Amino acid sequence: MSLIVLKDIYKIYHVGGEEVRALDGVDLTIEENEYLAIMGPSGSGKSTLMNMIGCLDTPTSGIYEFEGEMVHIMDDAQLASIRNRKIGFVFQTFNLLPKATAQHNVEIPLVYANIGREERLQLASNALTSVGLGDRMHHRPNELSGGQRQRVAIARALSNNPSIILADEPTGNLDSKSGDEILAIFDTLYEKGHTIILVTHEDNIAKHAQRTIRLFDGKITEDFYSGP
Amino acid sequence: MLSLFFENIRISLSAVLANKTRSILTGIGIIIGVFSVTVMGTLISGLDRSFENSMSWLGKDILYISRYEWFGDMEWWEVKNRPRMRTQYVRKIKERSQYAMAVAAVMQRGAMVAHENKDTRTQIFGTNTDYMETISTEIDQGRFFTDSEDRSGSRVTVIGHGLRELFFDGQDPIGKHIKIDGVKFRVIGVLEKQGKFLGLFSVNNQAILPLGAYSRLFSKRGFTRLSIKVPEKMIDDAKDEIHTIMRQIRGLKPRVKDDFAINQTKAFETQYNSLKMAIGGTGLFITVLSLVVGGIGIMNIMFVSVKERTREIGVRKAIGATKGMILGQFLMEAITICVVAGLVGLSLAYISSFFINKIFPSTLPLGLSILAVFMSLIVGVISGIIPSYQAANLDPIDSLRYE
Repeated sequence: MSLIVLKDIYKIYHVGGEEVRALDGVDLTIEENEYLAIMGPSGSGKSTLMNMIGCLDTPTSGIYEFEGEMVHIMDDAQLASIRNRKIGFVFQTFNLLPKATAQHNVEIPLVYANIGREERLQLASNALTSVGLGDRMHHRPNELSGGQRQRVAIARALSNNPSIILADEPTGNLDSKSGDEILAIFDTLYEKGHTIILVTHEDNIAKHAQRTIRLFDGKITEDFYSGP
Repeated sequence: MLSLFFENIRISLSAVLANKTRSILTGIGIIIGVFSVTVMGTLISGLDRSFENSMSWLGKDILYISRYEWFGDMEWWEVKNRPRMRTQYVRKIKERSQYAMAVAAVMQRGAMVAHENKDTRTQIFGTNTDYMETISTEIDQGRFFTDSEDRSGSRVTVIGHGLRELFFDGQDPIGKHIKIDGVKFRVIGVLEKQGKFLGLFSVNNQAILPLGAYSRLFSKRGFTRLSIKVPEKMIDDAKDEIHTIMRQIRGLKPRVKDDFAINQTKAFETQYNSLKMAIGGTGLFITVLSLVVGGIGIMNIMFVSVKERTREIGVRKAIGATKGMILGQFLMEAITICVVAGLVGLSLAYISSFFINKIFPSTLPLGLSILAVFMSLIVGVISGIIPSYQAANLDPIDSLRYE
């Protein structure tokens, strides 16, 4: 069974009486332990596709199966639950809670998963240690560098042991050195068996991935395996 | 869901602490509301207590007959034209009434009381031996005077607790002499200490004389009343009977209006209840008003908070918060502001109750305190529900994009 199966996915918006096809008949299958880069110019539908895969959005029509669960017919609460259990988000702007410590930030998905305090603290510190921030657990985001913040965000995404990590331009707000560090972490995670989906518009970042798809006008125009 | 509950409290407290000034300003309405309702409760509890004490001092089973009516609206000259009470009525009432258990004529006036080089201006009472049955105070030391002392006009006196302290300072006053308006009286007894009447004036400095001596020496000024002890359960029947007897004594024709008044503590109760209603009503009005205004303020600040944290809401939803969880988080924040404000108001009321307690004995009622905090919680729920609902229904994708 494939990890993710998207069949004939359409996402259609109506803007001022005009029909906008953000996704126009997308078929995509992602296997476990793939490292996939989604590329495409702005307006190509890559954000919509990412939101769809991330279960933040549901398709106008089509079928979305995630580990056999029918995402396209889920209600809000079920979507929230699947995001919580199976998806780890990493955003371009980190999106950490500014007033919470690194550890508390990493804990939050576990709170929503209703995991007890002690186990939560343990999992959070494990996740932070795995991204090399074991000694920064009690720092707030404003006491951390950009690269460190993004590592906290990755730890947060990892804390619930998700099926996929979904990263949207994760190096977009970082200098090249920090960006390389973040990509190195993704490489390591991939080697350890995680499934990673990366949205980017930079070719040299997409090179880290083993498979690349390109979108244009809501359609997949290219789908090739390149990486290691 | 317990961990989520604690997480929500943690988030709420940190949000409240992060915006201290804003939270305090927002909570002022609630603070005032809770403060006013609890202080009002404290006042009423204190009034209740001192009223109860004063009423038991007056006695619920005593009828007071005099020229004027308590809390009546008669003109002073009408009262003035009524005939005085006479001490002879005592015998007549005793003869005719089946309810009267004790009848005391009480004459009262102000006088200068002195002992050695100390003196004080106070009230003196001339009465008979039934008097002790019509008051709730007991003899602390010595004895009350006897019928024969009364009849013979003996110059003996029973003094209040305050006079003993003032004049004798620890020494035994029994058998000593004091001067009342220059006339020597021998102290034969001391009354036990009494509270202040309605918290207003004290009768601890009184001196009680037998009517015999009083009427011979001091009866020219002052006024006279009758105190009649009747069975408490039959006070209404007794009042009717005494009323009839008084009319007979006064020889009033059927159509002629009363030229006397029969008072009982009920008159105080009626008066007191309307005072209590006034205090309670005012307090309640202030409370409701400030809670409504405070609630609107909190609703407003919650809308701002939701707006400010749109992105946070998006992130939380992305990592798995359901609508219910977001709703709970913001509702908890509104409740936290309100309950914290409620507790602040309660603490202020608690501090004030110490000062009120100095004026008259009172306590902050526990039930009302709990109710007040509960009330602020309800205000939190009501004012928080719409902003929280708005937050819960934000679209995660739009919220994540919100700048």
